[in-house]
Amino acid sequence: MRGLGLLLRRRALSAWNTLAHFSPGEWARNLAFGLAGLGLLGGMHYGFYRLLAYLSTVELIGTLLTWKLTAMMLLMTLAMTTISSLLTSLTTLFYSYDLKFLVKAPVSLRVVFLDKSLESAFFASWMIGVVLIPYAAALARVLHLGAGFLAAFAVLVPPFLLLAASVGIGFTLLLLYFFPSSRTRDVIWVLSSLSLTVVYGLVRFARPERLIRPDALGVVAEYLRFLQAPTAPALPSWWLTRGLRAAAAGHWAAWGREALLLWGAAAATYAALVALAGRTYFAGYSGAQEGGLRRRRHAFRTLPEELAAGRGASSALLWKERLSFFRDVRHWSQILLIAGLVFVYLFSVRRLPLNSPDLRSLISFLNVGAAGFVLSALGLRFTFPAVSLEGRAWWVLKSAPMTTAQVMRQKFLFSAVPTLAVAVTLGAATNALLGADAFTARLSLAALVVVALGVCAMGIGFGAMFPRFTVENIHQIESSLGGFVYMAACLFYVGATIGILSWPMQMHFQQRFGAGVWDWRVAAWAGAAWLVLNAAAFAAPWTLGLRALEKHEE
Amino acid sequence: MIELEGLTKRFGTHAAVDGLTLTVAPGEIFGFLGPNGAGKTTTVKMITGLLKPTAGTVRVAGFDVASRTLEAKRAMGLVPDEPFVYPKLTGTEYLRFIGELYGVALPDMRRRIPELLELFELTPRGGELVESYSHGMRQKLVLAGILLHEPKVLVLDEPMVGLDPKSGRLVKDIFKRLAARGTTIFMCTHVLEIAEKLCDRLGIMIEGRLVACGTVAELRERAQTTGSDLEGIFLSLTGGAEYSALLRYL
Repeated sequence: MRGLGLLLRRRALSAWNTLAHFSPGEWARNLAFGLAGLGLLGGMHYGFYRLLAYLSTVELIGTLLTWKLTAMMLLMTLAMTTISSLLTSLTTLFYSYDLKFLVKAPVSLRVVFLDKSLESAFFASWMIGVVLIPYAAALARVLHLGAGFLAAFAVLVPPFLLLAASVGIGFTLLLLYFFPSSRTRDVIWVLSSLSLTVVYGLVRFARPERLIRPDALGVVAEYLRFLQAPTAPALPSWWLTRGLRAAAAGHWAAWGREALLLWGAAAATYAALVALAGRTYFAGYSGAQEGGLRRRRHAFRTLPEELAAGRGASSALLWKERLSFFRDVRHWSQILLIAGLVFVYLFSVRRLPLNSPDLRSLISFLNVGAAGFVLSALGLRFTFPAVSLEGRAWWVLKSAPMTTAQVMRQKFLFSAVPTLAVAVTLGAATNALLGADAFTARLSLAALVVVALGVCAMGIGFGAMFPRFTVENIHQIESSLGGFVYMAACLFYVGATIGILSWPMQMHFQQRFGAGVWDWRVAAWAGAAWLVLNAAAFAAPWTLGLRALEKHEE
Repeated sequence: MIELEGLTKRFGTHAAVDGLTLTVAPGEIFGFLGPNGAGKTTTVKMITGLLKPTAGTVRVAGFDVASRTLEAKRAMGLVPDEPFVYPKLTGTEYLRFIGELYGVALPDMRRRIPELLELFELTPRGGELVESYSHGMRQKLVLAGILLHEPKVLVLDEPMVGLDPKSGRLVKDIFKRLAARGTTIFMCTHVLEIAEKLCDRLGIMIEGRLVACGTVAELRERAQTTGSDLEGIFLSLTGGAEYSALLRYL
């Protein structure tokens, strides 16, 4: 284990040296963005608090509802961490830049695996873990619990996340072991993603929301039974829920049992993972190094690309983006999941129990917020990393006769087309499914189109402001400070859009109900405010990003 | 032609390149030597516009790199110290991409890409993804890329690293022929034998400063060594005594 200590020390030293070499400007910038991140967490805390406070006020079943929501939230966290570690570990364990050095070095392969698997688990779970903090704090506030509850939470969460991450890492290990051929592995990878999407869809189509709506069930007793029943009792998320409930009730012996169970299970799972790695890791690593001797037909530009961008440097860049994107199998799995997400989103909209046409129109307008959030998440995954994904080949573009602005514009264009497609699908289909009135349908669709473009412009702008050309894993780009700031900015932008457009919506409804008249002055003010918001969202990150990328030196 | 005037690059208080003034004429092969960390790669990055100088000017083919960046870049071809290229493109697609970036006409690309692949013995692998290429093959691909757009100035940072002897010989011959046609070549290298045989003039840089510049004969005179090869001259100018002390220690 001396080797592991040494490897971990190099990480600590690297982190320390990074901090120690920050210039005053970098300190100020990071501090500012760190505060913005704290603000976002504060906002999340407020949202969670409002939700939990509302649930707790429901007569008789308030506490049951609170814990049911907690169990479901933790189940979702478990699934997200597992999927995230599955994707992260593929790069970290098999394609890291430093692996050749480490495997060649006189340290055992087990130590290398320990180092890399801990890195995978960390990158796959830290952000999800951080998001749990405002939830736990909100829970403590609503249930009037003290610091002891938060300490109990802090003890239970690390093994929970490690367990979830270990499962994902184990899957990747087996995948690489059984399918060393890169082509077969790619096919399996995509099929796995497809299965996951199908399972996700099936779970959603089972309409679990019926269970948390008392009117959907014939008998009250059945509803109560559902609330009291464990949520996925065999999974660690339920153990964590039990542990938190015990801590909240002050049953410390019961909490201790759950803590022991979680820590024991995490240790046993991780030990099993290390044992599995002893048999499979080297074979998988060796297979991954072989690469794919894949002969490709020379790919030509598509007609729309020729028409949109013609020939020349800009068009060539667009072509290169498309080839590089679609040949990376890791993107296919994401695309499949997005397709599933859009499908399930629309299914959920269709199943909304709304009878009044006015309420349907209102929901259609609020859909701008929900769809805007989905677009922001897509932006974080695809648009924000676009600049950084040039990676070590950045010199090709930087030394080529094209401007940085040209590069950014092409990346924007490449992201904007699919993002707009998703936005229009979500907007138009939701409006049609809900039967929104013409005004609301037009306004929400227009808002979504603008939000889609805004999210893309901010993605490229923030991506250029925080370029990370030397990372090996797209998740490191997403979960960086820049990614966090981008997501916070997007959420603010979407929220502000809803806030501004609610003026004309309010007038529209007042007019419908005969409670007021349409005032063009208010509409003009709203239009002007929307224009200012979008001008800021488009121009500020773009200009700052362009300047930062032009000055970027590595 | 490359003209450097008072070129300086500081990282904090450390001057990686300190007031470098140098002219490389058309048709000249200039070898840029120096120990590790001397500032050679930093100089290359400033010439090619990858780094902004703290002070001084760079002119390439008559264009100021700071103010007429695109014209200067169009006239230049770079082989960086590490040949990172897009892993998900095939060799042929990479060359096509480079051709379009530098404005090579389509008929010329159709003719020259197969020729260059053949020249560097990459034809059988031209349809495979670059991610499956060895280091040497990537180096050859990058070299093919710069030859595709026929630049007036070549800036090469360790161009021979990773090449097999046959390819190394080929590349040397190509450089000689290009120089004879008027191409300016600025080359960083640690391989003194190549520098001695290939370069018309040599510059030796130590700690960001150009301490010697001239033909091999001029450098020999400067180092006050007789009959010594470039290695002897280099060690004499860059601290051969330390090297001897190290050998005794070993």
